[in-house]
Amino acid sequence: MENKPTREKLLREFAPQIERISASSVLWILFLLGVIGIGVYAFVTQVTEGHEVTGMRDNVVWGIYIVNFIFFMGMSYAGAIISGALHLFRTEWRKPIIRMAEYLAIISLLIGPGYILLCIGRLDRLPFLAVYGRIQSPITWDVIAISTDIFGCLIFLYLSMLRDIANLRDFSELKLPKWRKKLYSALALGYTGTPEQEKRLKRATDIMAAMVIAIAIIVYSVLAWIFSVTLQPGWHSTIFGPYFVIAAVYSGTGVLIITMFVFRKIYRLEEYITRKHFVAMGVLMVVLAALFGYFTFSDYLTKWYGSEKNDENLIKILFSQYYWPFIFSNYIGVLVPLLVIGIPKLRTINNILISAIIVVIALWLNRYLIVVPTLESPYLPIQDSRPAWAYYNPTWVEYALTAAGVALFCLLFTLGSKFVPVMNVSEMSEIPKSKGPFTEEESLV
Amino acid sequence: MDESNEKKKRSRRDFLKKGLLAGAGVVAGGSLIAAYVDKSEKESGEKVRALTTDGQIIEVDKAVIKTPRVSIKESHEGIPGRKFVMVIDLAKCKNARKCVEACQKGHHLPKSQEFMKVYLLQDSDKSAPYWFPKPCFHCDNPLCVSVCPVGATYKRSDGIVLIDNDRCIGCKFCMTGCPYSTRVFAWKHYNEFDEDKEPYSPEAGSPGKEGTVSKCDFCPDLVRIGKLPYCAQNCPMGVIYFGDIDEDTVTNGTETYRFSELIRDRAGYRYLEVLGTRPTVYYLPPVERQFPVDRGFNDLDENVKNRYKNTPYVKSHKK
Amino acid sequence: MKDLQKIVLIILLLALVVGQKTVTGQEKKDTVSEITPDLKLGYLNTSNDSITLTADIFVKRETGNFALQNAEVEFTASADKENKSLGKAKADVAGTAVLKLYVKSGLPVDKEGKTTFTVSFAGKDKYLAASGNVAFKKAKILVTFTKEDTIRTIHVKAVQVEANNEQKPIKGETVNVYVPRMLSNLKIGEVKLDDNGTGTVEYPGALVGDSLGNIAVIAMIEESDLYGTVKGQSTISWGIPKQYYLAEKPSTRELWTPIAPIWMIITLIIMLTGVWGHYIYAVVQLIMIKRQSKQKKDYF
Ligand code: SF4
Ligand code: SF4
Repeated sequence: MENKPTREKLLREFAPQIERISASSVLWILFLLGVIGIGVYAFVTQVTEGHEVTGMRDNVVWGIYIVNFIFFMGMSYAGAIISGALHLFRTEWRKPIIRMAEYLAIISLLIGPGYILLCIGRLDRLPFLAVYGRIQSPITWDVIAISTDIFGCLIFLYLSMLRDIANLRDFSELKLPKWRKKLYSALALGYTGTPEQEKRLKRATDIMAAMVIAIAIIVYSVLAWIFSVTLQPGWHSTIFGPYFVIAAVYSGTGVLIITMFVFRKIYRLEEYITRKHFVAMGVLMVVLAALFGYFTFSDYLTKWYGSEKNDENLIKILFSQYYWPFIFSNYIGVLVPLLVIGIPKLRTINNILISAIIVVIALWLNRYLIVVPTLESPYLPIQDSRPAWAYYNPTWVEYALTAAGVALFCLLFTLGSKFVPVMNVSEMSEIPKSKGPFTEEESLV
Repeated sequence: MDESNEKKKRSRRDFLKKGLLAGAGVVAGGSLIAAYVDKSEKESGEKVRALTTDGQIIEVDKAVIKTPRVSIKESHEGIPGRKFVMVIDLAKCKNARKCVEACQKGHHLPKSQEFMKVYLLQDSDKSAPYWFPKPCFHCDNPLCVSVCPVGATYKRSDGIVLIDNDRCIGCKFCMTGCPYSTRVFAWKHYNEFDEDKEPYSPEAGSPGKEGTVSKCDFCPDLVRIGKLPYCAQNCPMGVIYFGDIDEDTVTNGTETYRFSELIRDRAGYRYLEVLGTRPTVYYLPPVERQFPVDRGFNDLDENVKNRYKNTPYVKSHKK
Repeated sequence: MKDLQKIVLIILLLALVVGQKTVTGQEKKDTVSEITPDLKLGYLNTSNDSITLTADIFVKRETGNFALQNAEVEFTASADKENKSLGKAKADVAGTAVLKLYVKSGLPVDKEGKTTFTVSFAGKDKYLAASGNVAFKKAKILVTFTKEDTIRTIHVKAVQVEANNEQKPIKGETVNVYVPRMLSNLKIGEVKLDDNGTGTVEYPGALVGDSLGNIAVIAMIEESDLYGTVKGQSTISWGIPKQYYLAEKPSTRELWTPIAPIWMIITLIIMLTGVWGHYIYAVVQLIMIKRQSKQKKDYF
């Protein structure tokens, strides 16, 4: 029981996080609720007035809803893959950030599918997906895959939180209302850390970590296939599966870095999350940047080289109408992280944060550029005098719901961090005292 | 043994098909003097749902006569022993838009929804521009059907691809699946939908429903009673031919051709064959045209005319 | 739920609006001046002593022609002073009233052998009375077939029925030869009748019949001033048996069929059982943890 002091110390340190809600965080939560409220209003408008209130029309049938859907799902898979992989490889430096990755996985997984529901014209008929489901349809694959994924992530998150919940239950100094203590003790499943229990928990967690990685890859490929099984120029591509997976992990890494930064600031975790962690994540991001750049390049290179009529047309549009978004997402979004992290001198926390933000925006735009321009340049040229039919312009409803999704994401993260510390206390307390939370000797990835 | 079984099976199918059509042909009621009436042909179409009338004289637009509708279940099955095909003669099209108008009237569509669209195409700079009416191609390998998660869009035994608006969940996947931009979505409840008081039937494709997808349906409700689809009936130039490909015959109402001869003699082709969707709509190339392309701009609504203002042909003309 | 309520509301509102419109529309129509319908009478003699009379009733308005559904018309046959009512029929959805007659004898004929058929609409509401008529002589066309070596021939013979019931050949008329198709007739030849009222046309071959290879051939005198439209029909087994294109078996590669390919179902089942099996394993571990907690209680 030599870790005991560390655990006690950690718990004592993190207790305020979950015990108190400061005035500023109340304000913050109210603000988020406000944004979500606007989103709810937008949603009601869309349901009562029909999808006409969106910018989508017969040519661009999917707009930023689907972009958000891909984006959030991508973050979720990234969270799952990162936490699963870090867990399986027993990387030491994972410990302070693994809980955030798990939260990222589950929270964005709860929000993402909401966006696909916003695209659906008849929400009242959703049960038909089960009643009349056709296995041939990639949407059915997606429905099955996402629900499987949600269960997997929930189990995984729960497994990895179990010990912390048990800790909180047993931590007598915690000043919390009775119901919360009761909740902890119920959720802790009577875990007391006997060798037998520990063995079982470890086994289950390992298996779920592997599962979560595998499912994340499958699910995101399925999502990519929704696009690539069609014949649309720009979508009908064989590399979309791996491309999407890489892009997902890439964007997720960016989001994770931002999350790390934010929590580090708010909860004063400088002691635990150090520059080294940022650099480690940064290096991961660079690897992914290279891969992402490589996939993007080969996708567009093959289209451009052969210049089939419709591909040529698409590329022309990308380089004219969408010039800046295209440059930003596919050049700046790749090169900035490469430079910032590639050059050791530039590797400050702030710089890494900035490149993470750039990556996140670039990847959102990347998805937009995959979805919208393709729909704007179908095989038969659009001949329509109504501008909305020819060019997609998102309306306030779509923006409001996008903002609401981001707000919900922040809200759930905030509440999650109030429920169980954003750091895995039990894992961190296992670190031998001599070494400290993060050691120089450890390799970066 | 086998052969005679096969024969029996076949003739049963023939009978079904004939019975259906004969039944549909005789819709007249009323009192007839018994001695003169030919009773042998009195099998009334049980398959066809009769219109309810209270004896009042009703005026119905002759251009878009409504027909009795079959139930949703039946409309999933298809007309027995048929396989429909359409041939569009580009040489005769002058963008009169009568097909579009009749179709919209017949299906109770708002102006913003067109099942039939007329494009002004020009394959390359130097090649000739032409008017290109485009219905749904009712592909034999329809991607729209493959991707539908709930089977709301389906292909019937007679080759027609239909949408069941009572089942469609509005995911719009089929709209991206179709490479020919054929499908339209009801972005809201259009008033025109309410004009149709009949019960919904996928065969009639009407009344439309908010939040679902619809498209050209080859008017199986008309074909069932031996009439041509609205577009073919109403084209003043007789551009659109329709028929049963197994019978090798297509007609535009005034002329009837053997399908195989027409395609052979006029070098008929299918649009974007390369995509492998195997359309059942064939085009006859715009050769030896009866009208110059510009004739198609006459008498157009301003907003319809504006559709074509960004086409290469119109742009090059302005210069 | 909101959605539903709103849809119901909209429908109700629209019903109200539309309802009002039709009401005002009717009021307007009532004040509108009366109108005389057009009545067109079609005549088809199918040679087997059967005549089909088709009356088309419609009104012409600025916006197009409108069929008068449900209008009741009466058919009569007359010659000289004899007048015989044939029956009444109601116009169907397309404004067409059909009367099929089976007439071996008994129709009034004048001395040329002609019968005048009249259709009349008595008038109702704002629709004034209207009528139309045609006068034709009874005729018959016979279609027969012969085959010599590889040459197959269609023979046509046409006769007219005189007032005294005597049959005489029709000379010099043009007879069109068709095969009937689902939506129209496909023309396969034309015959100019000789002095015996006969003529031949070669059977063109490569025509699709029904699934047994039976094919109907029609010979028609169309819209003649004297005989009206006369049709003779016969069936022969010269057709190519009709192949049902994709009535039953689509090729296995395609994904649009209602049932997914078997490999897809198997893959899905394997993957799902694999994944969910592991989930269950993990959950079982959790349950075991819970069970074991009862055995030992101190953690710290
Ligand atoms: S044209 Fe489009 S909508 Fe019509 S059957 Fe083919 S893929 Fe489907
Ligand atoms: S929009 Fe309707 S018809 Fe189209 S794929 Fe979705 S459910 Fe099927």
